[in-house]
Amino acid sequence: MIRDDLARLIKSGYRAVGELEFEESSPGYRLYHWTDRNSLQGARRYHSIEAARELAKYDAGGKYRPLKGAPNLSSGWVIELETIDELRKALDYFYPGAIATWIAFQNGKTRPVPLRETVNRQSGMYRVTRKLGNEQARTLAKEACRSKDRCLRTILWGIEENQTPDFLPPSKSDPTFDQTGQNRAAIPFLCLEACNLLIARARSTLSRRSG
Amino acid sequence: MPEKRNSSLVLVGHGSTLNPDSSAPTFQHADEISRRGIFAEVYCAFWKEEPSLREILRMVESDDIYVVPNFISEGYFTEIIIPRELELSGPVTHRSGKVIKYCEPVGNDPRMIDLLLHRAVEVAPGVAAEQTSLLIVGHGTHLNEKSAEAARSQATLIKERGRYAEVYAAYMEEPPNIADWRKITSQPNVVVVPFFISDGLHSYQDIPVLLGIESARTAAASQQEVFRRNPYYLDGRLLYYASAVGTEPLMAEVILDMIERFDRKYGFELAA
Repeated sequence: MIRDDLARLIKSGYRAVGELEFEESSPGYRLYHWTDRNSLQGARRYHSIEAARELAKYDAGGKYRPLKGAPNLSSGWVIELETIDELRKALDYFYPGAIATWIAFQNGKTRPVPLRETVNRQSGMYRVTRKLGNEQARTLAKEACRSKDRCLRTILWGIEENQTPDFLPPSKSDPTFDQTGQNRAAIPFLCLEACNLLIARARSTLSRRSG
Repeated sequence: MPEKRNSSLVLVGHGSTLNPDSSAPTFQHADEISRRGIFAEVYCAFWKEEPSLREILRMVESDDIYVVPNFISEGYFTEIIIPRELELSGPVTHRSGKVIKYCEPVGNDPRMIDLLLHRAVEVAPGVAAEQTSLLIVGHGTHLNEKSAEAARSQATLIKERGRYAEVYAAYMEEPPNIADWRKITSQPNVVVVPFFISDGLHSYQDIPVLLGIESARTAAASQQEVFRRNPYYLDGRLLYYASAVGTEPLMAEVILDMIERFDRKYGFELAA
């Protein structure tokens, strides 16, 4: 069970994923933004996993966050949950599938999908992305996926089959590296395949050039 | 519905990278079904949001998985995108010890007509149906003709009931276009019901511009103080614009119906 794996990860010292930190508290668990680590007393308190869904949806300015890996979560809150099941669900609202994918990765059950394969199966309005050149792809991913201000996922896919993700610093594809730069024992938010946002960006780039 | 504690449900929505309300009804119905404790787990997955269709099956632990498209019609998404992204081989897919059961989209449920009529009455209470044109507005797309067909067949069924003076289907992306509602309809009252899943980008922000009740795209519904200020007085006629049919709470029942229908069709009810 993924919840058992999560309990094991916590016991072995993992306390973070993305911008979040979590810990056992009495009773249950609490979850908060890392910048609030030392100021939880004054934080807004929530007790439901639905709060996680809403907090994950908007940034501090109330703007919609379509990309869950974006490093712009709001702070000033703490979610207190009673069970490990609830903690797992809350973490999945912030970073969907992060735990399951990390477990699958450790068990050798993940297959990163090269960008070429992803664009080659696109259809409809995204079919045009099949024309994406390798250099265009590298520039695009470099701009759209960097951890500093775009996305905290750890990228495992390359542009072509058997290529490593060499378009960003080596730390971007290192699952042991904390993408926030905080150097915590963090569960990585693995990226096994280019997301729809990147494909949409590729489409705009290509449409702009041909139009 | 009997318990299926060894099965999980994945409700698939379109989602949006622009509108925060697009995924709301999918979560709303998933929450309701989850509260009933029928399934071991209930998940949502999206084409344009996370969790994506590519990652959702890693998150689901049950070996028996029902996938229900929270889509208003058969078409491009249910026939091409969802099967492709989930790597399905047909209605029943066996993979790595798991069985994935791909149900029909919610829009196929015969009760959709009642939900549409409920929306029409709700948005224009006390308005004489015999002096009202009812427009069922769908997306319509050149990618798949079934998208338009769904709205058209609903309009035909409602017309047969003889309640409204006239009933038509109109579309965003193909003729008859919703922007031409003044030409399509003839009655003093016009009720427009979006045959859409959510009050998202298309039904809340795009169609009002096409209808002429907004001059430009407004903010998303959840960012507004008032959902909508019906009726709109336009060119001597009163126009009422409803909330999307897919936001009806009864949609949770429709989703469970799609699963029961799947079990009957493929002989799984005996195994349940």
